[in-house]
Amino acid sequence: MSRISRRTFFEGTGAGLVASSVPLRGQPAPPAARTVPQTAIKLTVNGRVHRITVEDRWTLVEVLRDYLGLTGSKIGCDRGECGACTVLVDGKNVYSCSQLAVWADGRTVETVEGLAQNGKLDPLQQAFIRCDGPQCGFCTSGQLMSARALLNRNPHPNAEEVRAGMTGNICRCGNYNHYVESVLAAAGMRSAQPRTKA
Amino acid sequence: MTSLQTVGHPTSRIDAEKRVTGAATYTGDLRLTGMLYARVLRSPHPHARIRHIDLARAQALPGVKAILTRENCDVIWASGDMRNKRYLFNNPVRFAGDAVAAVAAIDRHTAEQATRLIEVDFETLPFVLDPEDALQPGAPEIQPGGNLSPTARGARGPETYRRGDIDQGLGAADRVFEDHYTSPHINNAQLEPRVAIAQWEADRLTVFTPTQGISNCHTEIARDLELPPEKVRVICQFMGGGFGNKNQDHDFELMAALLAKSAGAPVKLEFTRKEDFLSVHGRWPTKQYYKVGVRNDGTLTAIQLRGYSGMGPYRKGTGGIAGIDIYQCPNVERMVYPTYTNKAVAANLRGPDYPQGVFGIESLMDDIAYALKMDPVEFRLKNMTRKFQDQLPYTSNGLENCIRRGAEAFEWKKRWHAPNEGSGPLKRGAGMAMGSFASALGRSSAVIELDSNGIYHLHVGVTDIGTAAKTTMALIAAEELGVPLEKIDVIWGDTARCPYSVGESGSRTTTHTGWAVIEAAKDLKRQIVEKGLPKANAILTAAANTNPSLNGVARFSFVAHFAEVEVDTELGHVRVTKYVAAHDSGRVVNPLTAESQVKGGVTMGIGMALHEELLYDRASGLALNTGYYGARIMTHRDTPEVEVVWVQTEDPYGPYGAKTLGEPTIIPSPAAVANAIYNAIGKRVKDLPITRDKILGVLA
Repeated sequence: MSRISRRTFFEGTGAGLVASSVPLRGQPAPPAARTVPQTAIKLTVNGRVHRITVEDRWTLVEVLRDYLGLTGSKIGCDRGECGACTVLVDGKNVYSCSQLAVWADGRTVETVEGLAQNGKLDPLQQAFIRCDGPQCGFCTSGQLMSARALLNRNPHPNAEEVRAGMTGNICRCGNYNHYVESVLAAAGMRSAQPRTKA
Repeated sequence: MTSLQTVGHPTSRIDAEKRVTGAATYTGDLRLTGMLYARVLRSPHPHARIRHIDLARAQALPGVKAILTRENCDVIWASGDMRNKRYLFNNPVRFAGDAVAAVAAIDRHTAEQATRLIEVDFETLPFVLDPEDALQPGAPEIQPGGNLSPTARGARGPETYRRGDIDQGLGAADRVFEDHYTSPHINNAQLEPRVAIAQWEADRLTVFTPTQGISNCHTEIARDLELPPEKVRVICQFMGGGFGNKNQDHDFELMAALLAKSAGAPVKLEFTRKEDFLSVHGRWPTKQYYKVGVRNDGTLTAIQLRGYSGMGPYRKGTGGIAGIDIYQCPNVERMVYPTYTNKAVAANLRGPDYPQGVFGIESLMDDIAYALKMDPVEFRLKNMTRKFQDQLPYTSNGLENCIRRGAEAFEWKKRWHAPNEGSGPLKRGAGMAMGSFASALGRSSAVIELDSNGIYHLHVGVTDIGTAAKTTMALIAAEELGVPLEKIDVIWGDTARCPYSVGESGSRTTTHTGWAVIEAAKDLKRQIVEKGLPKANAILTAAANTNPSLNGVARFSFVAHFAEVEVDTELGHVRVTKYVAAHDSGRVVNPLTAESQVKGGVTMGIGMALHEELLYDRASGLALNTGYYGARIMTHRDTPEVEVVWVQTEDPYGPYGAKTLGEPTIIPSPAAVANAIYNAIGKRVKDLPITRDKILGVLA
């Protein structure tokens, strides 16, 4: 692959303007309209191995959404501020809008679509439903993936640790209370009952 | 209040599983065969005349399929300005971010590159950013006829409300208090950026778009494109918030439709996050000058407001400054000047006219209470509204209970103290504020079809911007039909399959469309009694078009919020340490999702109090902080635990007595935080947001 740094990448494309002609799901990428450097990479996404030729300028979230059809990861800002695109790369939560797809070569990626196992929802997903975590739902996939990463490294966090672990995920509906409650409930630290005074 | 079978019990959203598995499809997730991508070129100047646009280089770029500019497109976006002709592409351009051209191409890169190849010859014009400056003689004229935006009747004067005699009221006062407050432009900043997909099949247009109201969006697209309404279909998938900026039809939908027509292929038009901050509207900035007369016993004799609202260059919102109406007072005068400026356009953001106005009036009332040596809670209990504008009786009024029960849950007597008490750099303080929001009734529709499997297919024109509207409608249907929630199948978000609904704006879905659902359910029950349950392929259909009204009464939701803050007097940092929100929204249909609404509105309000402002460079007229990081949108770590207290007042109107909820949740929040800061440090910050520099400034 040609050498491309994050800096030249962003300078060259302007903010948030990356993605090329959209190949259909499961088919090899078509030749780009212009001469754009391309690289063949191997990605393991939610347990499935994909060998894909990507344009070097593609971000990881574009490959996930536009190439693999995994649209659960959202693009809210495309500049590493909101966290709606959060996925796990080798178990670590990252903004997939701020990762080039070529950087993920040989790595393991987990997205929201891979959270449920054999049709059974992850405890976090169950708790998000019970505690009404999502309002509009656009930030939810990212919140879930940051929460998953947190519980993987700290199975029993307290509320302050949950807030710290998820503070890179913005929810403009402002439902942080219920997201924290959901994560604590999933970790078995607190009952998932709403605390409403009638 | 009598307990009901289904309504009033905490219930998870009917579509919750889709929201947590990534299966919920938003507009941006859609891809149509042969679809093109579109980008918009925007003005880099706050005010400029376009002398010439050269498209030659852009048109020569391989893959470019269509370009729109003012020269080949004179479509008027009527919802973009209530007073003037606002074209999709304007000349002159009147704010940095005004659209100049839109390009459709085979992919995003090509479209983006093409916008950069368009050469525009601008003649820059003088600009003005501040509404008071814009009204001075000699200010640059932004719209023909001057910078004071006319009233709906075309009069060039302030929006005015009067009762009693303001001079007499001020004369009868023992003391007159005078002060002024400001609030900035802030962005709705919903997580989902703007995106629309337009597709033509012969002369029929389908627009996929995240809208708060498919019905209005549909009729307005047809109006602006001069199409018969039956030729237009609007489909809203799951949608990622809006808070008031996805009502009506929008420029990006019209541009997508026109580009698709021109290119002969479906077009997806996407805005970037920066464009969302710049070119989609936010809350209008205000300047508020108050005069309040009061007797020594705390009785109000007069309230006067002169206010200025910066609307940007187009009149898309009311520009109202509301909040005085939460007080009872015989003599009131309110004059608000909605003014054109060369800043970003301003219109609805959650609780549109209220949070900034309540911040102003509640800051001053707080000062008055302290000056009269009254407890702020007692002062409000004495002066709170008993009749709407001292005239119309309320259908129900839980404000007093909101104040009393909120104060109790907050432990007001324990937490509130004399201003600036205690020593040491960390100071704690308690503050409160109150609010109200109209809970009107009005036109909506619903259709229910019962099939032979016992499934009730409920067609409602809602889109669910995060309020759980689909679930609310299903709960109301299940309650009225007396069937389990699982038997209700909600069909939503598609003008080809759903009847008229007011849309998710003004917190009207539950009261308006919920009432139609009840009437349709009653009709269906009558039909079942008459005809029996449907068999085989038969379907029973019931439809209701309802338009209830109020006569001689006013219907409002009420709210009182209580905040405790800790102020670091060395660093100026403010932390909210306790928050109680007491709400009278009548009967609460779903306490689980309603609680989410309250906590979300409070969080947004704290952000308005402490963080958010779209900053402008005075020299260039350009916005400086167009994004989440720069706007300092609230994060997990900024957000306190919010305790919700429901004051479920019995109301004789609305579905089971439900009143509005979503918008009132933000209304008193900035004022409550501001009043708590005053209690902590004994100094008043009168300009939102209350940032560290301002705290340190008043302490210096």
